Amino acid sequence: MSAPTRRYSLFEPNKIGELSPAAKFILYSFLAAWSLFVLFPIYWLLITSFKTPAAVNNGPFFLPWVDFQPSLHAWRDLFILDFEDTFRAYSNSIIIAVSSTALSVLVGSMAAYSLSRIEFAPNLITILYFVALLIGSCVAIGVYGADLWLTLAVAVALFFLLARAVGKLYTVRLKNGDILFWIISQRILAPIVVVVPIYMMFQSVRLLDTHIALILTYAVVNMPIVVWLMYDFFSSIPRDLEESAQIDGATMIMTFREIVLPLSRAGLSATTLLVMIFAWNEYLLALFISTSNAQTLPILVAAMNAGERGILWWTMSVAIIVMIIPVVVLAVVLQKYITKGLLVGAVKG
Amino acid sequence: MNAHSSELTAVAKGITADKLNKFYGGFHALKDFSLEVVPGEFLVLLGPSGCGKSTALRMIAGLESISSGTLTIGDRDVTDVLPKYRDIAMVFQSYALYPHKTVGENIGFPLKVAKMPKDEMERTILAAANQVELADLLDRLPSQLSGGQRQRVALARAMVRRPSVFLMDEPLSNLDAKLRGNMRAELKHMQSELGITTIYVTHDQIEAMTLAHRVAVMRDGELQQLGTPKQVYSDPANLFVAGFMGSPPMNFLDGEIKDEMFAGPGITLAAKGYADTAYATLGFRPEDCTVVEKGAGQLDAPVYTFEMTGDQSLVTFRAGDKSLVVKMPNDFEVAADETAGISLPTSSACFFDQATGLRIRPAS
Repeated sequence: MSAPTRRYSLFEPNKIGELSPAAKFILYSFLAAWSLFVLFPIYWLLITSFKTPAAVNNGPFFLPWVDFQPSLHAWRDLFILDFEDTFRAYSNSIIIAVSSTALSVLVGSMAAYSLSRIEFAPNLITILYFVALLIGSCVAIGVYGADLWLTLAVAVALFFLLARAVGKLYTVRLKNGDILFWIISQRILAPIVVVVPIYMMFQSVRLLDTHIALILTYAVVNMPIVVWLMYDFFSSIPRDLEESAQIDGATMIMTFREIVLPLSRAGLSATTLLVMIFAWNEYLLALFISTSNAQTLPILVAAMNAGERGILWWTMSVAIIVMIIPVVVLAVVLQKYITKGLLVGAVKG
Repeated sequence: MNAHSSELTAVAKGITADKLNKFYGGFHALKDFSLEVVPGEFLVLLGPSGCGKSTALRMIAGLESISSGTLTIGDRDVTDVLPKYRDIAMVFQSYALYPHKTVGENIGFPLKVAKMPKDEMERTILAAANQVELADLLDRLPSQLSGGQRQRVALARAMVRRPSVFLMDEPLSNLDAKLRGNMRAELKHMQSELGITTIYVTHDQIEAMTLAHRVAVMRDGELQQLGTPKQVYSDPANLFVAGFMGSPPMNFLDGEIKDEMFAGPGITLAAKGYADTAYATLGFRPEDCTVVEKGAGQLDAPVYTFEMTGDQSLVTFRAGDKSLVVKMPNDFEVAADETAGISLPTSSACFFDQATGLRIRPAS
């Protein structure tokens, strides 16, 4: 018998070192061209931030000190003259992105963990009964002017008294898959659809233009993504590990801290990064909910597009550069946790 | 090795299962499972997949709730007790090693949970690692170990806490055949040395026969027979046990017992002391009978195949729609398609009632 040869599948790449010089040349030129294409906007942003208005308007100029004289005027505008506005937007962005991410990852991953470990079987009819009572209460209060607390008390009493009886009328049990789909379906509609209702809700509870409004909104909007991603991740952790820990005497909290948490670090990092970037970059909801106090960086950047002084490309570039720095840092920090193969060796021989 | 074993032994406890039942919705997974395991015994639960043996083990471990019945470990009723208070250790089929912890941390996890002082913990981990010959690998991660080494880590982790009961769920099934044989022997040696009561689940009858003090054969959630390996093999309680044990399994022929004679297609055999049964099945082990000249045995049939396995020869006959296998010494030879006779001593024949599947015994 001949020595076993490794068979390459159709799309399995050869090692770069094994390629012929010509193929290597083509490959590297293509890669170089592609990196140029991808990195050029960032370069453009960087040099624009050092251009004077004249250098921008008479351009295009590509090379500092050759084509144009760099100037720090845009940086000075943003960080000295308009320091208060910039700082406020920056700190708003940080507070809102960090808090909303923490909230959605915390609650979302708990939901995902329970969905991956416990079989839920809610009764569809009971849920519909609950929704019907909710709508009934809203109509009674909003249209017929019923007393808020009285209506609530009646609705709650009706629910608990009759829920069991109603549930027995017709039994359709939902499964975990249905719950999961319902959660992710919250992301199917475009955000623009819910912007007006959200605006009115926060207006009526007097929370417009506050941190809490944006934090809550982002946390809720991101929750489905967290649940969806983390559900997959928790499901990939073998249950045997937790059962073994249980038999070995660990409490539930200890099992979570010692076994589940360390093993899901990669998934949590990836999810956190994704959600944080979303909250950091979000524009539409922030545009409606915040006006000045809670204004975030994307709003600040966009506002430079519409000032009475025309479009301030130079200060805008500075703002965008300082805006992307934290995201890049975060990605670099978390990247080392996002490694595969952590579960190898847990099961199978 | 003996120097360490005293540190690792605990008082072995007996286990009593009294009419355990398990329902998954409408599915009755375990039916009136009653069993008594004496302290220090090695008991094997044996059966095909889906027979409820793993469910029974998981109920004893406390990983599945008990729908009805009572479970006692030692003198304590543990029917509704959490797994960690049952004083048990379990080895999983998948080993369930914690992939982010080193071998030492894996073995020491039960001790860490029990808040054992650090120096004592290190000593105990080392003793357990020595027992399974892993002392050099304490700093490795499970992913850097071979299948057999992972298996040993799982064993060490199970015995480090000195439990009074070992539960093992097909612990050898992920190993290759050769390693499985070695580990089987080690497991048996270790169990007898530590003297810990052990319940072991497997679908492999060789493991069951070699390891067990007693074997409990299960099917469809019901206990079929409980006895020593020898009893289960040579004195099966019903058709299922007879057909499940042995490789190749017992031969069966359907017929009728009338006037102390069994009559089937092409065969008559004395059935002294047996009551008349209209639908009976004759069973005999391949090694209990011999191939003889045509007409010299109780049954003549055409040879279907002849197989040499090295240490023995297997002759398969075709009798009606049934295959009959006879084990012969490895120097025996016969050509396929030849018709030959099968000689079978009356004493080694078993009779079963076709309707109930139960063994029929002679009136003494």
